[in-house]
Amino acid sequence: MKEDDVEKKSISRRNFLKTAGGAAAVAGLASSGIPLMVGDAQAACDTLPKKWDETYDVVVVGSGFAGLAAAIEAKNAGASVALLEKMPVHGGNSVINGGDFCAPGTKLQKENGVEDSAELLYKDMMRAGMYLNHPELARTVADNAKGALEWTESYLGCKYAKLNFHGGHSVKRAHGTINQSGSEVVNKELAKAKEIGVKIMLRTKLVKFLSDKNGRIVGMEVLKGYRFPDDKTGKPAFIKARKAVILGSGGFSYDVALRQVHDPRLTDKLGSTNHPGATGEALLAACKSGAADVQMDWIQLGPWTSPEEKGFGYVPLFCEPLVGYGLMVNPKTGKRFFKETGNRKERADAILLLGNPAVIMGDSYAVNKQVVPHALKGGLENGAIKKFDSLDDLAKAYDMPVDAFKEQVARWNSFAEKRKDDDLGCMIFKDAKPTVEAPFYAARLWPKVHHTMGGLVINKDAQVMGFDFKPIKGLYAAGEVTGGVHGAVRLGSVAMADCIVFGRIAGKNAAREKAWS
Amino acid sequence: MEKRKKNLKIAAVLFGAVLLVAVSSGLWAAPKLAVSKAKPGDCAACHVDKKALPETHPDTKTMDIKACRACHASGEMSLSGKFPGSHAHMLSGVNCAACHGKTKQPEEVPMEKCVACHGSTAKLAEKTKDVKPTNPHTSPHYGTELDCNLCHKQHAKSENYCAQCHKFDYKVP
Repeated sequence: MKEDDVEKKSISRRNFLKTAGGAAAVAGLASSGIPLMVGDAQAACDTLPKKWDETYDVVVVGSGFAGLAAAIEAKNAGASVALLEKMPVHGGNSVINGGDFCAPGTKLQKENGVEDSAELLYKDMMRAGMYLNHPELARTVADNAKGALEWTESYLGCKYAKLNFHGGHSVKRAHGTINQSGSEVVNKELAKAKEIGVKIMLRTKLVKFLSDKNGRIVGMEVLKGYRFPDDKTGKPAFIKARKAVILGSGGFSYDVALRQVHDPRLTDKLGSTNHPGATGEALLAACKSGAADVQMDWIQLGPWTSPEEKGFGYVPLFCEPLVGYGLMVNPKTGKRFFKETGNRKERADAILLLGNPAVIMGDSYAVNKQVVPHALKGGLENGAIKKFDSLDDLAKAYDMPVDAFKEQVARWNSFAEKRKDDDLGCMIFKDAKPTVEAPFYAARLWPKVHHTMGGLVINKDAQVMGFDFKPIKGLYAAGEVTGGVHGAVRLGSVAMADCIVFGRIAGKNAAREKAWS
Repeated sequence: MEKRKKNLKIAAVLFGAVLLVAVSSGLWAAPKLAVSKAKPGDCAACHVDKKALPETHPDTKTMDIKACRACHASGEMSLSGKFPGSHAHMLSGVNCAACHGKTKQPEEVPMEKCVACHGSTAKLAEKTKDVKPTNPHTSPHYGTELDCNLCHKQHAKSENYCAQCHKFDYKVP
């Protein structure tokens, strides 16, 4: 029954009309891709411009962790390098990222008495990824993460203050930046890139890759002076890439049409934790030039976000510490529906199946013990977290059946007493207490799109692969635009390692390409 | 039955699209202007095709920037957001060329130009450190170096750039 409800909602006529444009775009893509699938490389040949407006050895698309790492390495290997960014600011998702960098066997781990190895990280990545990870890519990240972290310290001057834990890892191995933000790394990458002479071009959007008759990527058409998201803005220009183009353009969590083609549940009813420029047109442009994509429907949702906040917000910092201490209910019934300590994917799927936001709640004991004060204060101020003097008030505020809800709290409390959930198998932590102490705190939960695991197929040298399983000459990619590293699930803090490791590999290899002109 | 409904919908969408193209191409057809010679009160020198100010607005002929600021001030009953930055600059004696240089094809002004007159971004952030809910001139993401023009637009409505991810309710002059 529940499944039927969801289906009806996501294929409403309104949504059908909204996605019709996206479907048309994909249809166009498919038709241009078909000849390539049967191995006709010449299909990708473009009419090249008579005159190129600008020429560089290596052109990088995207100014996040991966793109900047690639640009720096290519420049240091002797190439002339330009880096394009379609947005008016640098950094993409990297500059709003939480700043946790996963690496095994580091100095900070030793100082904290943590035993770890690349092998153990590899195993954790594969298990979380449901063994859909391309093993040599996961292995490359695991083996090079430590070196990548040390490069950001010794070469860029980044500082890491604290070792953090993320679900799914066997040990603490997330190195938290000193300002708890990815900006510590991406801003220092940008400063270094500028210092060594990488040309940075903001508001410059990739429109189309240009290939020669052998399918080699030779340059691209761009829009300069582009004003996101208005595609009528910007002046067309042609940029020649003598050696290679590197795509570090990120994922497509904010691209409703593209994500909905791959996972039809992800309608515009779902927000995203990403920056608004996290759209898929650069990825699709690569596909149109013969690049293969993989695992595009593995899209990670955060089950801890509030529909009343924009972006990531404060509610994740309220919800996550409360699981195992308080209850999550469906306001329609007043009853629990899924184990609160389930993983990201299980919980997000369960809430989507409800078809309406869930409510997470805790009493004063749990909230004061578990939730950091600044998150509670921020959430209360913006209204996403609410405070109630009684369970009756809480139930009424969310239109819940009061008696059913109070019965459910009493039932949960009996589980909390004996540390065992007979209904749904939630882990109840040993210092948890029955939910009885007023005031009570609650927030609504509705998943947001967080990370796209799928993307372009690459090999361990960061070369983008075509439909003939051979590298596309002159095209490299790194970071979230690629697929296969994480398989079904990306573990927290592995994104930074992925981006820096493959960004550096792409940059070094691109600079080593033989120039075509 | 269902099919007819769908056809109607599609027709409506197509009509909407045609309308949109018609309207937006009308906007593009703005004439060349002698902006730098315009005097206060002579709105029509630039705003040729429609009235720039409401009927009830006081006559601006004799006004200088101080007179504008009498109403367009920051504060509780703020009108500051309705006063375009380019006009504030012009009326304060900062003409087009001061920012764009002497050129027939003015280009986007880099942030360094703003800082050259208005002072360092660090000082500005210090000045606004008590603004609620949080200081708009520094952030964990960009420090104090987010481009001024992303919020304080000179030739378009100013924008709260933070608001694309945050619920910060700033009034942006």
